[in-house]
Amino acid sequence: MPKITVDGTTIDAKPGVMILQACNDAGVEIPQYCYHPGLSIVASCRICLVEVEGIPKLVPACQTPVRDGMVVFAKSSKSIANQKQVMEYLLINHPLDCPVCDQAGECLLQDYSYEYGRSQSRFEEDKQKNPKKDVGDNIFLYADRCIMCTRCVRFTREVSGTSELFVEGRGHKEEIAIFPGKPVNNKLSGNVVDLCPVGALLDKDFLFKQRVWLLKETPSISPVDAGGENIFLHHNEGVVYRIKPRYNAEVNTWWISDDTRYSYKVLADAKRLKAARKLEYGTPAEIGYGKAIEEAAEGLKSVVSADGEGSLYALLSPMMACEEAYLLGKYIRSIDPQAVLVLGPVPTAASDDVFKHYNTGKETFRIKAEKVPNANGIRRVIDLLGGPKASFDELGNYGHLRGGWIVGGYLSNWLPGDLPSVLNGGFRVIQDILPNAITDRADVVLPSAGWAEKAGCWENYAGKIQAFAAAVQPPEGARREGDVYFKLLGRSGFYDADAVRAEMGGAFADVKLPTEKEEVPAFEFAEL
Amino acid sequence: MKESDVIVLQEPKLSLSDQFYLPQVLIGLGTTMKHMFNVVARDKHLVVSYPEERREDKPVEEGGMFQQTYRGVHRLNKDEDGRVKCVACFMCSTACPARCIHIEADESPWADREKYPAKFDIDELRCIYCGMCEEACPVDAIELTSLYDIVGLTRQEMIFDKAKLLRVYDETVKAEPM
Repeated sequence: MPKITVDGTTIDAKPGVMILQACNDAGVEIPQYCYHPGLSIVASCRICLVEVEGIPKLVPACQTPVRDGMVVFAKSSKSIANQKQVMEYLLINHPLDCPVCDQAGECLLQDYSYEYGRSQSRFEEDKQKNPKKDVGDNIFLYADRCIMCTRCVRFTREVSGTSELFVEGRGHKEEIAIFPGKPVNNKLSGNVVDLCPVGALLDKDFLFKQRVWLLKETPSISPVDAGGENIFLHHNEGVVYRIKPRYNAEVNTWWISDDTRYSYKVLADAKRLKAARKLEYGTPAEIGYGKAIEEAAEGLKSVVSADGEGSLYALLSPMMACEEAYLLGKYIRSIDPQAVLVLGPVPTAASDDVFKHYNTGKETFRIKAEKVPNANGIRRVIDLLGGPKASFDELGNYGHLRGGWIVGGYLSNWLPGDLPSVLNGGFRVIQDILPNAITDRADVVLPSAGWAEKAGCWENYAGKIQAFAAAVQPPEGARREGDVYFKLLGRSGFYDADAVRAEMGGAFADVKLPTEKEEVPAFEFAEL
Repeated sequence: MKESDVIVLQEPKLSLSDQFYLPQVLIGLGTTMKHMFNVVARDKHLVVSYPEERREDKPVEEGGMFQQTYRGVHRLNKDEDGRVKCVACFMCSTACPARCIHIEADESPWADREKYPAKFDIDELRCIYCGMCEEACPVDAIELTSLYDIVGLTRQEMIFDKAKLLRVYDETVKAEPM
């Protein structure tokens, strides 16, 4: 393994990597704009130029491979002079509208200007103003803030493979542009906003909503498909404002799909169920949550006493966390040891969306066709619990079922048009986040929490079990499924996903939540 | 820090009269009587008959107000076109230790500016009038005036919205220019 020395610190580099990559891996800072580990190297921004012993000129750290015994000076007077000059050049036409810009607080230009730049501009002429462009359904391009790092252009070529963005003009007239009538509307388009090191590409959805320094981030998993993309939920005062990708080399690398990115909207849906209800003389009436849980338990018990064992079912939604499904299974089986456990409907698109490199044709990203996050996990839990089980399609054959517990939690309407007769009648308890055909006719309705409002784990299509944390509270009137099952099972305390996973054992026992970044107090950043 | 820099403070020991408690009560009563005597016999009042008398009318040495540095109710400044100066950068609400400033930003209706506050509320009951918002503002949009006589009959009335804060500007701009 080659060893290189950067400003007196010796670091081990992987063979064949570039100096910048080795430094990034070892935590040694070298400023960088155009370099992105997931994209090809162009060495166009020139801020990462460093002095290397034996080479008379400065070399780009992002494009120079490491050699054993290499001595690099990133903080020599020559390197620092270059950084200062690059910063001055980049800031010549860049508007200093940080108070307005959405990127303020996470902008590399802002950070580097503070660390490497000059305190004052020597530029006396008027700044050149480039236009604002609407480049896609989700994206604005504020061309005057662009520093032409071309990360976005490379992304549309190398990852989405759609090549919508290109560079138009030369020299000081260079601009990022789209072809007329060909906007950036691919299913990965939102990633170009994350890529942009300055505030040039902006998400229309997040525009002006919140300042980034107010947002807290919580690690989570994508709820929209079986891919299990790793994400961060960015939230403030109980409201989720945006979703950003979380790097995971095995699952989603640096990218997420737009469906994942905007999936948080369901949490603030006006139609969300917010009050527990029971059916009184054929019409739903609101009741207290505690009372509703009691009603549900009594109703299920009376079904078993009237029709005997084997008359109950539990419809376990593939949107549930594995821990929740396990607890509900346990509860139903505690009333009726022969209860049938059913995996809820698994909506599936015709085929996976596969993205390929524009040139090599190599697969770069895949959006799974299975549009639920945890069908595999629920199957695993049903197997773990043993006993009678059925698939959703087989429910028609189970005429003897007289009552059950139905869990939804899907991000949109999930019930098929013609319901299996089992779900059409009998004693029904439904736990869901959005109203559907059953909620108005069910005997008890229990509003539940969306995925961002609870903790648990999901198993993706490849069998990888990943934990996610609760970012915000469920709306008033709704409760987390886990808490409800804890109460029904007569367990003391609150639902704790880690403890339940340990109890479940097997493949679940070792699943750990990624450590959350510490919250930065509001005053920390003012320490200048 | 060196050990020699540490100052150890001892709690003062109670004197004999402190320990007996009653003598100190009488000494306290004596102070009250002294003030009563000053008011009745020597006509030396320690009070201001507000609102007939106001603090800004009295000299600073006699407990009057130094208007230039007094921190009273906020105002939102206007630019030369009469539009709100604020660019909704949230710096004031971020700096606010009492968390009494609530802003909702939106795209500005004017071509020359990108962002403006669609809503700007200050809860004057929560505010501690520390002036941090004024310090944090990059465009000098928020200022504290020397107005201190603000009243409201409900809590809601004391939440000053954008219109009210702009009205404070209109009322005070002559006396206290930007």
